[in-house]
Amino acid sequence: MATAHSPATPKVHAGVQPIRAGKGTSFLWRKLHSLLGVIPIGAFFIEHLLSNFEALKGPSAYGAQVKFLNALPMVRVLEWTFIFLPIAYHALYGLYIWFRGKSNVVYYPWAGNWMYVAQRWTGLIATAYIIQHVLRQRFMGVSLPENPGAAFHKVQMELANPIMLAVYVIAMIAICWHFAYGIWLFAAKWGITPGDVARKRFGYICAAFGVVLLFVGLASIWAFIRPEAKNAPEIAPVAIVQVETGGSMGL
Amino acid sequence: MAKTVKFEIKRQAGPDSPAVWENFELEWRQGMNVISAMMEIAANPVTSDGKPTTPITYDSNCLEEICGSCAMRINGKARMACSALVDNLEQPIKVEPLSKFPLVRDLQVDRSVLFENLMRVKAWVPVDGTYDLGSGPRVFPQQQEANYPLSNCISCTCCMEVCPQFNEATGFVGAATIAQVKLFNNHPTGKVFKEERLRALAGDGGIQECGYAQNCVEACPKQIPLTNAISDVGRDVVVQKIKDFLRG
Repeated sequence: MATAHSPATPKVHAGVQPIRAGKGTSFLWRKLHSLLGVIPIGAFFIEHLLSNFEALKGPSAYGAQVKFLNALPMVRVLEWTFIFLPIAYHALYGLYIWFRGKSNVVYYPWAGNWMYVAQRWTGLIATAYIIQHVLRQRFMGVSLPENPGAAFHKVQMELANPIMLAVYVIAMIAICWHFAYGIWLFAAKWGITPGDVARKRFGYICAAFGVVLLFVGLASIWAFIRPEAKNAPEIAPVAIVQVETGGSMGL
Repeated sequence: MAKTVKFEIKRQAGPDSPAVWENFELEWRQGMNVISAMMEIAANPVTSDGKPTTPITYDSNCLEEICGSCAMRINGKARMACSALVDNLEQPIKVEPLSKFPLVRDLQVDRSVLFENLMRVKAWVPVDGTYDLGSGPRVFPQQQEANYPLSNCISCTCCMEVCPQFNEATGFVGAATIAQVKLFNNHPTGKVFKEERLRALAGDGGIQECGYAQNCVEACPKQIPLTNAISDVGRDVVVQKIKDFLRG
């Protein structure tokens, strides 16, 4: 068979391998990563920002919010199932995605390509921040589930350090960016916005949403460092949800 | 001396040979493009300092951006050499082979992974048989309008070359194949394989590996709506997997 190995048509087997059509489980894991980013992680992030916003009303209101959240039924199960484990998975799989991608924004400096890179860096900043944030605020120092009234003071002490304040502000920007663009990516990749115009419009909506979240987040950081909040009590008196009684309810 | 055009070409004698840059200088001609310059250099392989060298190797065929053969990196960017007009390029014009595909020689690479991918997702209309099947179902003009841009794919692989996710670690299938899945799933006869194509695209290296950097649609010389196709097919794959899960 002299023609079987013609030098004119060299057979090359290296390079990117073809798709393993219908085989493997990476689809499930990747889609799980994508879905978890929106629900529950995104939903939790919104809840967290809204709760933080209570700090603008002062130490007692903030403590009441902490007490309310910790009074939810099966709160420790909720915390692990809908917050810790999803974030851990999203972060680890996100790093795995990053390591396997090969950025080429140097050669192709297009907007979408920059966003691709930004999504990875903001994700890394978020991960590093969340690890220290959870360790220091949830698992170290005064235990807030038992002492909700100490919440305001604990955060205030953290933000009194200018380095930590910078860390919180940078992380807030990174996470709002990551979440806002993440929603946009989710809509694009799950086929919710398959049209150019739809993606453009939704881009504006996501950007506006991200800015609003950032405003809420930065406002609550401000709540702890503003002059009026100076010398907050170490343990603020906490009255959970005032229930109106009597009056017309007596019918 | 008349006006000239300078080229720097990355040469490599074979897959395992070291890469070297060679400089060439050609006389400028009206409307010359990179592929016509490559032909000239191959016909008269003498470097700019007068040394004879081996003729350069490259793929090309139609010379009018319709066959998809002459994709290469020109000044760092993947594009068709035939539609790269010299007058629009910064000099010296750097010409390199595509970087994501096994090199054969000089500017020639082996892009058979695309054809293998197209086969694995059954990107065709199955009409083979032993008797005349008659005319196919009617395709409405609106559907034709939607399909036509997708049918413009010339298999140049520019979308894959510029994709940050198309690499050996992910084994990503690339935008071109996904767009062809949309095309053939839209076809009234081709859609007999719709479910199989969608299931194929959920395999390792499938549509989920897309990072939506959108380089594909920027680089596509035929302006194929690749990101729209990825979005549409992405939804179809998810729906198919959910259906399979619930019916399984």
